[in-house]
Amino acid sequence: MKINLTSQTHKRALGYAFVFGFLFLMAFIQPAPKMPYKKAGLTEQEAALHLLNRFTFGPRPGQVEEVVKQGLENWFLEQLQPVPDNETVRVKLSSYSALTMSTDSIVNTYLQPAQLLRLAIAKGYIDKDSVDKTDRPAYREALKKLQTDYGFRPLQELQRELINQKVIRAVYSDAQLQEVLTDFWFNHFNVSLTKNQVQQLVLPYERDAIRPNVLNNFSSILFATAKHPAMLLYLDNALSISNDNAYAKRQLKAAQRLLDLNAAKKMLAAATVSEDSMQKMDAMENQMTTQIKKRKSQGLNENYAREVMELHTLGVNGGYTQSDVTELARALTGWGVKPMYEEGPLAKRFSNATPDQLMRRGLQVEDCFLYSGEKHDENAKTILGKTFPVNGGYNEGMEALAMLASHPATARFIATKMAAKFISDEPPTAVVNEMTKTFVASKGDIKEVLLSMVMHPDFWAKAKEKEKIKSPFELAVSAVRATGTEVAAPYQVFTWSEKMGQKFYFYQAPTGFPDRASFWINTGSLLNRMNFGMAIAAQKIPGFKTNLLALNQNHEPESVEEALQIYTKLLLPVTDQKENSERIMSIVRAQNIDQKIASATKDTGGMQDMQNETMAQMNNTLLKSMAQVVGVIIGSPAFQRK
Amino acid sequence: MANRRAFMKSGALALFATGMSGLPRFITEAAAGTQMLPMYKKNKTLVCIFQRGAMDGLMAVTPFADPALQLARPGLFMRPTAGEGGLFNLDDRHAMHPSLKSLFPYFNSKNLAVVHGVGSPNTTRSHFDAQDYMESGTPFAKGTASGWLNRAVGLLNHAPTPFSAVSVTSSLPRSLYGDVDAIAINNLQDFSIQLKGNPMAAGKAATSFEELYDQTTNELLNKTGKESFEALKILKSNNIKNYQPANGAIYPNSALGNSLKQIATLIKMDVGLEVGFAESGGWDTHFNQGTTNGIFARNLKDFSDSIAAFWQDLGERQSEVTLMTMTEFGRTVAQNGTGGTDHGRASCLFVLGNDVAGGKVYSNMGSLAKENLEDNRDLPVTTDFRAVFSAVAENHLQLKTNGNLFPDWSGASLKMML
Repeated sequence: MKINLTSQTHKRALGYAFVFGFLFLMAFIQPAPKMPYKKAGLTEQEAALHLLNRFTFGPRPGQVEEVVKQGLENWFLEQLQPVPDNETVRVKLSSYSALTMSTDSIVNTYLQPAQLLRLAIAKGYIDKDSVDKTDRPAYREALKKLQTDYGFRPLQELQRELINQKVIRAVYSDAQLQEVLTDFWFNHFNVSLTKNQVQQLVLPYERDAIRPNVLNNFSSILFATAKHPAMLLYLDNALSISNDNAYAKRQLKAAQRLLDLNAAKKMLAAATVSEDSMQKMDAMENQMTTQIKKRKSQGLNENYAREVMELHTLGVNGGYTQSDVTELARALTGWGVKPMYEEGPLAKRFSNATPDQLMRRGLQVEDCFLYSGEKHDENAKTILGKTFPVNGGYNEGMEALAMLASHPATARFIATKMAAKFISDEPPTAVVNEMTKTFVASKGDIKEVLLSMVMHPDFWAKAKEKEKIKSPFELAVSAVRATGTEVAAPYQVFTWSEKMGQKFYFYQAPTGFPDRASFWINTGSLLNRMNFGMAIAAQKIPGFKTNLLALNQNHEPESVEEALQIYTKLLLPVTDQKENSERIMSIVRAQNIDQKIASATKDTGGMQDMQNETMAQMNNTLLKSMAQVVGVIIGSPAFQRK
Repeated sequence: MANRRAFMKSGALALFATGMSGLPRFITEAAAGTQMLPMYKKNKTLVCIFQRGAMDGLMAVTPFADPALQLARPGLFMRPTAGEGGLFNLDDRHAMHPSLKSLFPYFNSKNLAVVHGVGSPNTTRSHFDAQDYMESGTPFAKGTASGWLNRAVGLLNHAPTPFSAVSVTSSLPRSLYGDVDAIAINNLQDFSIQLKGNPMAAGKAATSFEELYDQTTNELLNKTGKESFEALKILKSNNIKNYQPANGAIYPNSALGNSLKQIATLIKMDVGLEVGFAESGGWDTHFNQGTTNGIFARNLKDFSDSIAAFWQDLGERQSEVTLMTMTEFGRTVAQNGTGGTDHGRASCLFVLGNDVAGGKVYSNMGSLAKENLEDNRDLPVTTDFRAVFSAVAENHLQLKTNGNLFPDWSGASLKMML
């Protein structure tokens, strides 16, 4: 077996690949165990198709044969190696500036509308009394000018880049498994563009916390998501505050001292000083009181602590209690986000602070993650029976998360979820047990868990039945890949996915989209799946270019039946024909359409007699009928399944 | 060439003509005497409007008799005055904003109730969080997979149908997340098999699709396919494109007006609508919200006129329908430095229906003096939103909830339904 590393120049990736490559060599070379698909009665082709259906966004024309040629095991092992974007992807993404920007730069370039408005008022671009009163065009003009003058970019552009890169990678990337897993883990650790506070952070979240870790250890994704600003804000941990620590006590004491001092001064000065300075002292008193009150009123927020146990690790029946939630929330107090917005008051204070000042407040920075000792609960905690002693600081949160990552309930929960994604909505118990065992033994190695899944007969047992229903995104991308459609306007995949019921990156709840057929298929969405099939085949999606003739090596089908046969085979390769083409055929036969046509290639002599215009028209009509055939195949029940 | 031409004719035009089984199931069954398919039976319809952005309840239904309010918002305060354009005095304590003129008659006829001081026990002032909590119906749990309206449909004493829960929005709102099939559709006309620029091809493809889904062995695709095509035919036969509102109702040409018009269409078509959902935006009035004129007044007028048109349009079907509005929180009692109001706590909501004990403002609101306010600034929440939602849904939809509509809540429903 060989793993092609020539395209990898990155040193770390190379070392990484080497280590894992070696492990896999050990596992497979002597004697190379075959994936047990023959026992399930599958041919090599059928097994290759199953692999492509499960671990890519759908087979490209001819890809089944390619995988057979490469060897199924080799292909899968290669997919387990993360590789950098290929040339096509790189070129298509080259104009997307946000993809390579630091999170700091993104936050300071793609301002939120409210930030922009405030800045426009502060800098005199808009008069505050005129907001929402003035005519809209002038208002928009002023905001636009501010953006141009300061180099800000519209937030929608950032969302567009996020959406488009997902589509481009899904369609064109060779690292298909990596993209499938990015989709899977993003959904597992869901954050949502519906929450304003995280809109700027979803792109860096997927880029920095999810994608690089999808084939790593489970704990590495858990840590990366836990500490990412998008998650810290989406599930509110950044708001979770305790005053039970030396820093806060010192600060509150100092504030109280100032307040007392002020009161004493006031008493002494009451008779002598001017009204004006008395007012100043009153103002100071009010300000200090509000600050102290605000500080004291903020408190523990359990949202992240609860969901990290319920949704990310142990699962709802994972054996934790409300007390564990509260204790974990206390352990994670002080986990927050580094102030990044340069026009905000916090960022300036933060960037001007000396290391000494940061230390005095117990602040530690790691990229955009900020641990604030002054907000951390210093007391002892007990989580899932384990005691964390006083003054555990930042480390106790990490230890608690590590404990969750390696918990047996987590192993089962994650194994079940992966099996539901890659086998069927209700996966067989035996394979889940096997994956759970592997998860525990490998300490959460995602590659190992995937390997144990494909080496288990249950993975193959019902491959022919195509038990999984494609999500709308999977349907759209698989149609694009199967038809070799050239996508110049990736955003169309998003538009159509939304129509079909999957507005990706916008699922509001931390559960992520429910990954089951009954969620994807309902009366509203199903008709749009059919409409999508027709639209893509008929070239009605702007920015999509589908060449159906080229797909068939520029050979015109001679009859409707032939067209059906050819395109069914191309779009639904090595599939049991009973369920699809034969059924479509029966409809056609019922209509007695059996006239044969002469193909253009055979009939060039006759064609020359015709006017060019008529020829074009005829070709047009022919393409339309082919488009209808292909549209019906893509919208058919068979193409919804994988 | 004749052959080729023949193919193109037969291929392009007749390729996917009428299916072989002749009449679709829907028509044969309808002809067999059942006036409506049993799957479209329903009891009542609940229509919910979410006012996103947090409506200033103190301006919509203003406790004008409280001098503290006038002090706190000198630029925004209004009191009832005689004559055109004035506020509508409801009970000598509260008055409706003049923009609610079209709804005021329903208050008088006791079909419309106002509940004031409504909000969530969770004090978050984030739009996202507050909407999320209100829609999931679990104010302290983010991870609740379902929305409260989806659970309501699940608690009906019969199986839901394809049109049981419809949201007239482009994507499904959090309120309708969950196990029961719910559809989101921006425009009923989109509920069709369509191909831009080639309706004939679409029509033929529709026949092919119907056959294919009818024959598939996959149960879910088979069942949903059948339902989709039956629903499609019902919509088609009702000519929604040329829908004419009844009783002289005129819907505002706005997002909310259009949404409610479509919900009325579905109700009148008897497709089994039990929960309808619509949205209204633009309530986040931080800047220059105005009084009798301005953005708030304009928005509220659209809100009022849309609901009034919907109600008028329903005519005798009003007895089947109850409408409830909701918003994630209210706004500060005091006006801010930019002629608007900031995120607060409690707001008010409206419930309209024949089974509503209307003509009344349900309120436990105290004085608005600063010391009585939540955090010295906001109208305190004196009625949990779940007390209202459960009262309306349980009574109107006849739900036996056993605490399943709002898990982790043991409060009492507000007695506001007949």
